[in-house]
Amino acid sequence: MDRDTLRSEVKELMVSGLRLSIAPTEIADDTSIFGDNAGGGGLGLDSIDALELVVLVEERYHVSIPDEEVGKRAFASVSALIDFILHERGAA
Amino acid sequence: MSGGIAITGVGAVSAVGGNVPALTAALLEGRCGIAPLTLFPYQGRSALAAQVPEGVTVPGTLPAVTARRLSRPDRFALAAASEACRDAGLDGALRHDAALALGATTGGMFESEEAYRQRQTGEAGCFRLSRLLGTSITTAASVVSQTLGIYGPQTTVSTACSSSALAIALAADAIRRGRARVAVALGTDGLCRLTYAGFDALQALDPEACRPFDAGRRGLSLGEGAGALVLEDVAHARARGVRPRALLLGHATGTDAHHVTAPHPEGVGALVAFRGALAAAGLPPEAIDYVNAHGSGTRQNDAVEVAVLRAVLGSRLARVPVSSTKSQLGHTLGAAGALEAVVTVLALDAGILPPTVGLRRPDPSFGELDLVPTPGRRLPLAVAASSSYGFGGHNVTLVLGRGEVP
Repeated sequence: MDRDTLRSEVKELMVSGLRLSIAPTEIADDTSIFGDNAGGGGLGLDSIDALELVVLVEERYHVSIPDEEVGKRAFASVSALIDFILHERGAA
Repeated sequence: MSGGIAITGVGAVSAVGGNVPALTAALLEGRCGIAPLTLFPYQGRSALAAQVPEGVTVPGTLPAVTARRLSRPDRFALAAASEACRDAGLDGALRHDAALALGATTGGMFESEEAYRQRQTGEAGCFRLSRLLGTSITTAASVVSQTLGIYGPQTTVSTACSSSALAIALAADAIRRGRARVAVALGTDGLCRLTYAGFDALQALDPEACRPFDAGRRGLSLGEGAGALVLEDVAHARARGVRPRALLLGHATGTDAHHVTAPHPEGVGALVAFRGALAAAGLPPEAIDYVNAHGSGTRQNDAVEVAVLRAVLGSRLARVPVSSTKSQLGHTLGAAGALEAVVTVLALDAGILPPTVGLRRPDPSFGELDLVPTPGRRLPLAVAASSSYGFGGHNVTLVLGRGEVP
């Protein structure tokens, strides 16, 4: 899967899976998924979303996010998440 | 309970609309909210329900992160409680120390059923936490208290179909005992497969829209929604210059301890509740101008309920209009007590006699009763009673009065 396809797929998964009231295209690649963003442009997600997104990503991409440390790295931003998925799948 | 408790605000979500103005209009028109069930596929004795239309909104103050995960009954509860607080003019400071009492029976059961269905069909590969968060019946009170900033004594009760009538009684008690000056009482429930199939299995669902007190009645029609009332110490309401919409003059409960679903044949618990509520109000039976009946439309309930009314009101019953709001809103289970209390408040406040919609041929054994056929009437009322009878014999009667402060 190429990076562009994966990018739009991940954003779509976030919007539909977490029932966000925004369009997938509104999520910028460098948006911090769970943290605060400069200018307050965060997605407003909480700890339940974090658990949900872990499950959704693991299920869809057959990757493992075993602990918080890996999760923090993987969910730093959409770009980071794509890097993580591609890396894990490449390594598998 | 001299002087009673002021009811200074009401809120309602039901099959006829998402607020009190929609409910009032439907009561005046005699509009029935019972229609084909579309929330989930179901094949059985009935295909009807009083389902809340899509698009009932939650207040804009709610963070989107919370709003998107609310179960339907939590959404209904929040909309009704917000409307009641607005109606009563409760600002943040007044809400802060208010008590909160809520009645419900199944919470986010529909959402839980959907989670299991998706898992079973393979639509979802695993259980999703967010879809199961609303399963507990206590989440509605949490959402209401968090969103509206209500931090006083809080309780959630579940006594089947009298749950939210009991919540109103508990809210009134909290005020009377000095635990709070203001209380929000509400009930909420959402349609789900569990209750629909359960009542169907009991053969308690009418294949047509329910016809309480009708000779041809065959059961109830299930509904959903939420009702909310702001209760307030009368002196407190007067001091802040708020006119009560009605007064809660007395309430009482009585338990049959007879059968898991059937009412006691003589309605012993219902009698205790009705007579106890009158005694608590310090009123004789002759004071009652209108009865908003439990009136579920099952053969047993309506017969026992009329027997109870005969025992309490005697020959005067012929001159006391009795109607069932379930003919318009369906049986909303945990929400019914509160929704019907709201209807009774509107009846007293606006001088409306809400009709028993769908009544074609009144049961001849209830021959002397004025069952208020569609479209209802206008009549100034001073005192009205609202009864709620729950499976297992949980009976509650509320006696309400018009809202002048004595």
